[in-house]
This record gives sequence, structure tokens and C-alpha cells, in this order.
Amino acid sequence: MVYVALITGFLLILMGLYGALTNRNILRMTVAFSIASTGTHLVLVAVGYIPGRTAPILDGAVTAADASLRIIDPVPQALVLTAIVIGLGVTALMLTYAYKLYETKRTLDISKYTDLKW
Amino acid sequence: MVSTLFIIAGGLGAAFLLGLLREEWRGFAYGVTLAALAFMSWVAGSWLWAFVFDGAVGVDVFTAGHNPPFAINLRMGLPEAVLVLLVNAMGLMVGVYLKGTLMRLGRRAMAVLLVAVLALCGIILTRDIFNLFVFIELTAISTAGLVLLSADARALGAGFKYLVISQIISILLLVGIIFAYHATGTLNIDGMAEASVALMKGGTLAFFLILMALIVELKPFPANGWALDIYESAHPAFSALFSAAFSAAMLFAVDKVLLIGGEPWPKIATGVGIVTFVGSNLLALSQTNDRRLLGYSSVAQVGLVLTVIGQRAVLGEHYLFVVGGILLAHSVAKAGLFWVSGLVVERQLSAWAVLRQNPFLVFAFATFMALLIGLPPFPGFYAKWELVHALVSEGRLALVVFILFGALLEVGYLFRWFGYIIKREASVESAMSKPVAFLPRKLVVIGVGVVSAWGLGYIWGALSDFANVLQALPVLFALSFLALEGLPAKLKNTLAIVGLVAFFAISYENYNQLQLIFGAIILIGGAVILLASYETHGKRIGFYPSAMLMYAGLAMLIVAEDSFSFFVAWEILTVGSYFLILRGKFSEPHALSYIIFSLGGAFAILAGFALAAGGAPRIPLEALAQVPATLAPWVFILLAIGFMTKTAAIGLHIWLPGAHAEAETDVSPMVSGILLKAGLFGLMVLLLNMGKTQFYGVELTYVLLWIGALSALLGNLMAIFQEDAKRLLAYSSIGQMGYAVFGLAMMNHLGWLMALMFVINHYVYKSMLFLSVGGIAKRTGTRDMYRMGGLIALMPLSFIAVLIGIIAVSGVPPLSGFGGRWIFYNAIMTADARLPMILIFLSGPVAFLYLFRLIHTIFLGQLKDEHRRLKEAPFWIVVPQMIYVVFLLGFAVFPGLALRRVDAFLNPYFPNGGLNWEGLTISSDFGYWSPVSIMITIGVIFATLLAWLVYLNHNAQKVKQFNIVFAAERPYRPETTHFAWNFFAPYRKALGFMVQPFVTQFWDGLTGSLHHTAQFTRKLYTGNGQTYAFHLLAFVVVVYLILVGGLV
Amino acid sequence: MFEWMKIPYALLTLFIVVNYGLLMTALIAKIGARVGRRHGIPIYQNYIDLIKNYGLRSSITHGFMFYLGPVFRLTGGVGLILFVPIIYGSEVFSNFSFAGDLILALYFIFFGTLGMALGAGESGHPYAAIGISRGLSQVTMAELPLAMAVFAVALQYQTLSITDIVAAQQGGILNWTLFTNPFAVAAAMMSFLGSMMRPPFDVVLAPQEIPIGPPTEYHSSYLALMQTNRVIFPIAKIAIFMSLFFGGAASWPVFFLKVFLIYMVSVFVGVVFPRFRVEQSIRWFLIWAVPMGVLGLVWV
Repeated sequence: MVYVALITGFLLILMGLYGALTNRNILRMTVAFSIASTGTHLVLVAVGYIPGRTAPILDGAVTAADASLRIIDPVPQALVLTAIVIGLGVTALMLTYAYKLYETKRTLDISKYTDLKW
Repeated sequence: MVSTLFIIAGGLGAAFLLGLLREEWRGFAYGVTLAALAFMSWVAGSWLWAFVFDGAVGVDVFTAGHNPPFAINLRMGLPEAVLVLLVNAMGLMVGVYLKGTLMRLGRRAMAVLLVAVLALCGIILTRDIFNLFVFIELTAISTAGLVLLSADARALGAGFKYLVISQIISILLLVGIIFAYHATGTLNIDGMAEASVALMKGGTLAFFLILMALIVELKPFPANGWALDIYESAHPAFSALFSAAFSAAMLFAVDKVLLIGGEPWPKIATGVGIVTFVGSNLLALSQTNDRRLLGYSSVAQVGLVLTVIGQRAVLGEHYLFVVGGILLAHSVAKAGLFWVSGLVVERQLSAWAVLRQNPFLVFAFATFMALLIGLPPFPGFYAKWELVHALVSEGRLALVVFILFGALLEVGYLFRWFGYIIKREASVESAMSKPVAFLPRKLVVIGVGVVSAWGLGYIWGALSDFANVLQALPVLFALSFLALEGLPAKLKNTLAIVGLVAFFAISYENYNQLQLIFGAIILIGGAVILLASYETHGKRIGFYPSAMLMYAGLAMLIVAEDSFSFFVAWEILTVGSYFLILRGKFSEPHALSYIIFSLGGAFAILAGFALAAGGAPRIPLEALAQVPATLAPWVFILLAIGFMTKTAAIGLHIWLPGAHAEAETDVSPMVSGILLKAGLFGLMVLLLNMGKTQFYGVELTYVLLWIGALSALLGNLMAIFQEDAKRLLAYSSIGQMGYAVFGLAMMNHLGWLMALMFVINHYVYKSMLFLSVGGIAKRTGTRDMYRMGGLIALMPLSFIAVLIGIIAVSGVPPLSGFGGRWIFYNAIMTADARLPMILIFLSGPVAFLYLFRLIHTIFLGQLKDEHRRLKEAPFWIVVPQMIYVVFLLGFAVFPGLALRRVDAFLNPYFPNGGLNWEGLTISSDFGYWSPVSIMITIGVIFATLLAWLVYLNHNAQKVKQFNIVFAAERPYRPETTHFAWNFFAPYRKALGFMVQPFVTQFWDGLTGSLHHTAQFTRKLYTGNGQTYAFHLLAFVVVVYLILVGGLV
Repeated sequence: MFEWMKIPYALLTLFIVVNYGLLMTALIAKIGARVGRRHGIPIYQNYIDLIKNYGLRSSITHGFMFYLGPVFRLTGGVGLILFVPIIYGSEVFSNFSFAGDLILALYFIFFGTLGMALGAGESGHPYAAIGISRGLSQVTMAELPLAMAVFAVALQYQTLSITDIVAAQQGGILNWTLFTNPFAVAAAMMSFLGSMMRPPFDVVLAPQEIPIGPPTEYHSSYLALMQTNRVIFPIAKIAIFMSLFFGGAASWPVFFLKVFLIYMVSVFVGVVFPRFRVEQSIRWFLIWAVPMGVLGLVWV
């Protein structure tokens, strides 16, 4: 299970990067990056997973005393939450940029935005 | 003390508060923003104060009621305090600078600024790796927002490219973090460092990814196209923040994270850093857009800091001093330059000429430029010294070479730019339009930058183990002229003269004989030349600080006792003289090549001293004698090359003719008569202490002998083909310095005496000739000799000066030049080598050619119609000439006054072969010479014959100009009758092959190929965001391959 | 303390040299004419010319330096002869050689040249300037082998004093530098040819065609001073050569003979060869005389 998740995560990252590097359309690039960051999140979660343990929530089933033996590592989960939020922010910003860029040149082709070079 | 958390909290709180405000309350919002930034700066400042003055120790701030690793902790130590203060103060200044833009865009933009600043503080303070990630992302988002402050529409593209990159970075970082966490079980940086072994066992790749993510944020060459686009298009105030604060924070993050890795990871930092430093500086050479150029330069500087971070182990306790010096210098300078760029409307470099309208801005640019390059008295200078010494003592010579090469490239484009500012016309439109009104608010911000630059210089001087440059009396005296710029030039001139003479009066008692000779030439001689400066009118802004800086450097040079103070003096005099030379009307390219050669030479000297020091931070100059035999030749070569850039030895001479010829009338004698002696002094110090040194069996003084002889011959040969009188004199200086180098290289008593005699003579007659020619050029409006002619009757005093001057130069008895020749012949009698003498034998008569040409084509021959009403050269220019004439006559009769002391001084070093000074006759082991008898004999014969001629010919009639015997024709016009142009045509036919400009072609070829490389390589930056992303990934992969393949 | 007797002695030397020079140059002119199948001038012709020129009343001047030019020129000649010990071993005819050694003599040669060139320059005559330009160009290269030869000789005898150099050559003809360092002497003699204003190196004056060269504008008493110099100066120069390379002279007859023979070297060459242009003579010195000088230096 863990490995499936890990491999899927990395595959998603690679797919995302590939997509971001090959698609010239800014929106497609944004989507590709979303895919890649999803892959990252998946990797994060997968790394924190320990087979045979339960979710890191202290309730009736898991008490504080034996938590360290029964739950999976809670830290990656916390990290993932943060990462998702940040990813969302960045994606939103990229989309805003896409909109603004489209307004200036009426195109979403990134290879058209090379006024700055050398 | 206020808790560190308030820095974060203050920023966040204010940002939230801004969100609650009404859109219309912009003034209030702006006030809140500035207040928050000021508050944050104050907190940081109070910590810094506590660390420095109250002896506080670093503290960790814990959050969420738990200790790490269960909660995030922030650390506040001295470096953190400095950087946080830097970031916040920079934020505050940017806030002030951006007032117009922020007021227009409203509270949201202000909030973004606040967030950016607090995020940077977070990056610096946090000790948690994931927290670091969060702050980095926060920075990225706020950056993408702040990029949009720019009015430039292209900034949108740049911002998007940045977002693409930051996405990739965040992926690298996250993946790295999670696996590092997996391997170590902690997110705390210090915890990871403790678990380093475990991490490195399985998680090398994880750590690699973290490190690379952070390094990529530092815009390593060549994966940095996106950053350059931002620099080019963003608002300059933001670029200032981006360059100064972002880089500082990210560098600190790299520094923190490198703690985790241990060996060999710092090597990656060094490798990436040095490639970036050299590569970016190279590419900056061919930039024409000011902000993009600054971008390249920023990237390069950050590369340098990264290099240094990688060398932490080498630097030991000096690490913070060095890295802080370079980083703070970079931050302040780059921010300052970006702020200045906000005042300039057009983007090409020459548009910055508009700064000339405000001398303060020129001063600011010069300050930032010097700060960036690391000239004294700025922090980079001390840091560079420590760095090079540390690296050399560890044997990292290649790294030193690259650092110095990169720094030289930087010198090249920055000084070229400064030349544009001083010399170019801003543009057609702005030249026509009215003076630009610079916003006072922005000027204040720039002023803060300038003040902090000098403040940092003072602090670093005080922190260093060496004397504080800003406390040296000569430097202070020179700098005080900056404050007096408003006074009229004549008053400042008097002050300068009094200062020079007074300084000589207070210090001459402590001089030894050698220093006394040089001291008298520099201080008294300098004062005499300054008499000519009374001729100028107005305020002459910029002249006195530069000139006095040069004199300060020279005065410090001759009393320097250790390698550090020698080097300080050397750089100071170099910089002062550069500003002085640049003042000439057409000096721009020549001043540039002067500074490049000089600083190149200075770097060679630095490397030489570092090599000689063998780990010590500095050595007494006498210790050069104790350099181990394996290193000695290298030290010798490096130092000799450095000094010979100043004496303009052949091969390193191409800067001199233009620099001396195009300089102002009273500057030419200063830079020729006085400045060149610095190189000779250096060579003397070198040779006195190191003596003869073998390099793979080749005697290095023997090589010097050839270099001196070649310089003497070729310098003189080139001089005879010049049409421009000042150029002629300039080339002649190359020859004269060649003689002096030759004399020193003979390494015997009389050789040195001859060199010292040249030092005195060359000062006198070259100053005199430059002044005469300058005065004539002032009257005739040209320096081309063939346009003059027949001026003897109109300018008799100038004629007498030139006549005495050329008799003295050519060595014809009875004037003092002959003494030099006589000593020369006696010196070569005991020299080891014979063949180089042949070149000297030839160059003597060749000197006669150009000297005669000088006096003939200007004063004799046919007077031109347009010159018939000319008057004698200006009074104040003639005064020093007459002083020199009297001195030359006196020195001719009584050379012993000066030489006898020197002779005695040389005895301990060269016990054999001194002169015998009994009675009126001076005798050596081989011959004798009696100046007084010669003078009297010649005088009596001359007077007798003249009396006889007058008796025979007293009624000779003065005839008109064209009343000459002209076979079968009649003279037509003065122009066609004055035989002057290409005077030595047969000589050119016979020996012209020797003056082909091979050396110039060589250096042109070198600089040309650098520029072509830059031009070619920068095409890498296509402007396409995807390409940049690809660069980044490729960069990471390549570094990984290198890591796997080579280092680990 | 200065010995005032030196002054009459110096005047005596001058008197002898001037008369000898006047006669010798006339003789040489005559020899040259005979080679060209002409009758030539009477032996006393130089006296007539000199007296005539000193007697001429008409005179003009182009200015201050023009006036001083001949004075410089003659001071150079007279000074040179007085700075050189003429007769070896004679206190009377050592004149002012106590003022300086060989180097003084060598550099003082330029004194007259410089003054003359300046004076001629002020005349404003382009031919004078052209002559000077050619002359200076040529002399720089002609001086080089001489300097090397002098250096070689000084190294050989380890002294720069002319008297000591002559002393070292005493005791037989084989002790002359001519035999102890033939290369140096060869170099010096080539240089000598270049400085004697005779073909092939006389383009500076170009005596036969248009009036050219520094003296173009000079006449009457100016010219007379220069003529006086033209009889003194070569003898002074030859005296140096004689002392350095040919054993010096211990008495006046030997002096007269040696000076005449050395002078004749340039005459022999001169009547045979055509004239070089300046760049040709520069190359000639560079290709033939300079290597000779190098050999001389290495030989020591």
C-alpha cells in the first residue's frame, strides 16, 4: 500500500513536471503544477504512513498513553495540510497571473511572453 | 528586551489591521505600514544593541508551549539580529521610497509588503525546516505580488516565470523535507544536524533536494533567467528589496541548512557559488539595460557569498566577519543602486548621466560602486583581504583566482558605467530639457544608503584586526573635502596645499632617507603642482576629494609597515587617481583601462601578500624576506606584476598614454610625475626585501631587467611617432619608468641610486613639461604639435621650461639628467647582464628624437596666423614651471644634496660600489664626475663665445618670418612651410615594425573575446518561462551528477 | 683649489687643434678632389673662408635661439676638446678632464648638436628642419654600436677614465683595443663613419644640391663660428676614438698622425660609396654594426 502511494505520488510529480515543461498554454501549465503538487502531497502522506496503525486522532479507541504505538506519524499529515493550503494559494496566484497576462497580449502561450530576455 | 516574536507578530498584525481598514484611508494605512516596519526594525535593532553593547547571548524562542522538536522554535543571535535588522530597515526604506506607488495601489499592496518582510524575518529566525518552507512559500507569493508594483507591463511575464520556478522549488523542498524527516524523525534543523549521520546514510538525496531548493532560490548561474527578468522589469524599490533582503535571508537559510549536512556539502555551495559569480559577472559585461545589469551583478554577488559560505571551515572565527562584510556590502550597495535607478527615466546605461545634475548622486553612485567592489574603506575590502588570506593559506588557489577574476570583471562593468555617468550625454531629449527634479523622499532614502555604507565601513574597520582605514589622518583629510565642496576652488586649493605641506612637516622626522625622497616628492611636489590649480575657476567639484585621496594613499603607502596597510594605501591611491584621471574631457575609455589594469594589479598584489603570509592575517613587509623558497618566486612574480601595472611596464602600459594625455592640465603632472612613483616604491620594497629570486632556474631580476629595457626602448620609440604633445610625454613616461625599473633590477648600489635619481628627475621634468604643454594647449586650443609652431617669442617662459626640461631628460651635460646617465654607466659596469644594456643604449638617443620634436614643432619653425596674438601661458601654470627650472639648475650643480643621503641609505643593502662624495668631485670605482666644474667650464666657454658673437654681430637685424633662403620657390603659408607632421618619417620606415600595436591588439582581443563569450552565452536566457524551468531542473540534475560522480 | 694655469694651457691646446684642423680638413678636401680628378682647394683655403666670414658685416637674425645656435655649437666643440685628455701623460694638455670621465665626453657631444638644431629650427626654414630630422634619426642608430663598443672597452679595462684606458693600452701596438677587442673597434668605426657627415651617410647635409641641413640659414659670423667648430669637433671626437681604441697619443706628432689616419678611414669609405637614404643607413647600422657591437660585448 505504502509503495503504491509513494510510486503514484512520484509518478504524479513527474507527470506534472513533464506537463508543465511541454505545454505552452499557461492554464495547462498551472494544471500540470497542480498535479505535481498533488503528487507531492501524496508522497508526504505516504512517507508518514505506518502499516497496521490507525489515524492519529486521540479518542476512545486510541488513548494518549498508547498513542505512540498505535497511531501513524501525525506530523506529515499536519505538513500536508499546510502544503495544500499553500499550494492552493500559489495556484490561485498563477491563475490570476494567467488572467492578467491574457489581458495584455490576448494569448496564453507562454512562449509569447519573452519580451524580457538575455 | 522585546521578544523576537513581536517582529513576526508586528508584521502580521499590521497586515491584518490593514485588511480591516477602509479603502479610502490610504494615508492612515500607509502610516500603519511604516509604523509596523519601524517597530519591527526597532525590535531587531534593540536586539542587535543588546548583543553588541550589553553582551547578551543568543536566545531561542519557543512557540506553542512545547520544546522542539515538538514545536517550532525561533533563534535570535547576533547574525540573526543583523540580518533581521537589515531586512526590516530595508523594508522601511522601500516603504518610504514606494510612497507614491503604495498610496496609489492601496492597503493590499502595503499588506503584501509587510508580509514579504515578515516572511523574510521568519526565514532568518526559524530553526524548523518545515517552517522554513512555509516562510519561503510566503515569500514567493508576496514576491509574485510585489512584482506587480511595477508600471512595466513586462513584469507580469516575469512574475509568472517566477511562480513557475517557485512551484518546482516547493516540490523539491517538500519531497526533500519529508524524506529527511523520515530519516531523522525531526523537523528541527539542529535536531537534523545532530542526526546528520543517520540522514546521510539513507537520506542523502533528501538533503540534496532541500539544499538545492534553497540554492536555486539564490538564482545560481545559469538557472537564473527568471530572476533577471524580475530585476529588469520590477519596480526598482522592490528590486532593491529582492536583491538585498531576499538574498540575505535565503543565504542565511542555506547557511543554516548546511549545518545538517557536514562534509562534503559545503563544496557544492562553493562550486555553485563560484560558477555563478564568474558567469554572471561575465554576462553582465554585455548588458545595456541598467536594471538587468544590476540583476546580473546581484546574482553574482550572491554567488560570491555562497562561495564563502561553502568555505566556512577555512575561515574559522573570521567567518561571520567575512561573510557578513560581503553580504552587507552587497545588500546596501545593490539596494542603493536600485534606488538610484528609480531616479533615471531611461534604461540604457548612458542615461544615468542625468545623475551629474546632482553631485550628491554621483557621490552616492561612487560610494555604492566602491562598496560593491570592496574598495577601502568599505567592509568588502576587509572581507576580501581575510578571505583571500584564508583561502591561500589552505592552498585553495584556483578558487582565489576565480574570485579575483570575477571581481575584476565586476570592476570592468561598474567602472565603465561610472565613466558613462561622468562623461556621456544622457540623451538628446534630456540634454535639451530642463534639469530633472529628483524626489526629495527618494534622495533621503538613497542618503540613508550612503550613510549606512560609510557606517558599515567604519564598523568593519573597527571590527577588523587591522587599523581602521576611516581613522587614518590622510584619508580623513581627503574625505573632509567632500564637506567643503561648496567652497570656491581657490580656497580649497590653498587648504590642500597647506594640508600637504603640514603633513610633510609633521611626518618627515620619522621618515628614513628613502621615504624622505618619496615623501618630499609626494607632499611637497604635490603642493607645487597644486599651485597650477589656482588657474581654475568655480568650485571644481570632485577634484579635491579625488586628488587628496590619491595623495593620502601615496602618503600612507610610503610609511606602510605591513602588508595590510600597504595594500590599503595602494587601493586608496588607485581609486583617488582614477577619479582624477576621469576628469579629463575625453578620458572615459582611458580611465577605465587604467582602473582595470590597476585593480587587476592590486589583486595580484593581494594574492602575492596572501601567499607570502602563509596563514597569518598580515605580515610586516620585512617578512617578505622569509618567504619559503618554494613560494618566493610566485610571491615575487605576483607582486612585481602588480607594481608594474603602475609603472606601466611594457605589456601593461596601454592605459597610460590616454590616461595621462587626456587628463586635465594640472592632473597630468600629478598622475605622471607623482603617481607612477608608487609602482617604483612598491618594486623597491619588493626587491629590498626579497632580493634575487629564482624561478625554475630563471633569475627574476634578470627578467625585470629585460622588461625595464624593453619598456625604455619601446616607450621611447612610440613617443617619437606621436603628433599629440601630451601623448608624446605620456609615452616618454613609459620609457622613463622602464629606465628606473631597469636600474632597480640591476640590484647593485648604483643601479638603485640611478633609479632614485630618476624618481626625482622624472618628477621634476615630467611635471614641468606636462605643465608647459598643458599651458600651451590651453592657449592654442590644440595638443597637436604640427598645428603649433614658432611660439618661442610669444611664450618665452614656457620655452625656457621645455628647453631646460628636454636638456635634463636627454642627459646632456650640464643639467641633472647627465648625472643619471653617469650613474647608469657606472652601474652597468658591475651588473651581471650585458645584453639588455643594448636596448637601453638605443633608447637614450631615441629619447633625444622625441624631445627635439617636442620643442621644435611647438616653439620653433613657422608661427601660424591664428596664433599671432597668443599670450604667455597662464600665470599660475608658469609659476611651478619656474620653480622646477630653478630646482633643476640647482640639482644639476649640487646633486649631492639629495643623492648623498640616498647613497648612505643604500649602504646597508648594497655595501659595495657606493659613491665617494669628497670635495666637488663624485667618484665611483670606475670614473668620476664633478658637476660644479662642468657647469663652470661650460658656462665660461659659452659666455665667452656669446660675448664674441655679440661683439661681431651686435647689429644683426631681426627679419620677418618668411625671409628665408628658399631655393627657387617662395614660402607660401606657415602651414606648408612648418615641417612638423610625421617628423621622423624615415624612422618609421626603418623601425616602424617595432611599434606595431601588438600589445593593444592582445588586450583588445582578450576583452573582445570576453564580450563575445558574454554575448553568446546570454542567449541562453531565451525569455521563455518553460526554458527557465528546464534550466532549473537540468541544473539540479547536473549538480547531482557531479556530486555523485566526483565529490562524494 | 683651481689651478689658473689651466686656462692658458687650454687656450694653447685650442690654438694647436684649430690650426691643425684647418690644415687637415683642407688637405682632406684636396685629397677628395684629387680622387675625383679635380684640382681642389689650396691648403690655406680654410683660413681665407674663416677670415672672410668673420669679417662679413651683413647679418640678420631670426630670433633668440637662432642667435644662440652657433654659440651652443662651438661651445660643444670647444668644451669637448677641453674635457678630453688630449696628450697622454701630459699635465699641460689634460685640460679640464678632471671634470668628468668618458661618459661626460660622450654625452657632451650632444650639447652642440642640440643647440645647433634648436637655432636652425628657429630660422623657420623647412629644409633645416628636414635636415635635423634626418640627422637625428641617423645619429640614434649610429650611436648604438659606439655605445656598445664603449661599454665593452670600459668593461675590458674596468674603468671609465679615458686616461686609465689609454694607460692600459701602453706597451706596444698589440695592446691597443684594436687588437684586444677587434669587434668592439669594428663596431665603433662603423659608428664613426655614420657621424662624420661623409658619404654614404651625408644625406643630412646633402652638400652638393640644394642648400639643406641645419646650417641652411646661417651666414657671416654665425657660419664662421660653425666653421670653427667643424674643424675642432671632428678632431675632438677622433681624439676620443684614438684614446679608446688606438692607444692614445703621448705626443703631438703621434696625435696628428693618428687623427689624420682615423679621419682618412671615413674619407676612404666616403669617396667610394654613394649616399644612403636615412632608413637605409638605419638598417645598415642595425644589420652590420650592431651585431659587431654585440660580439664585442660578448668578447670581453
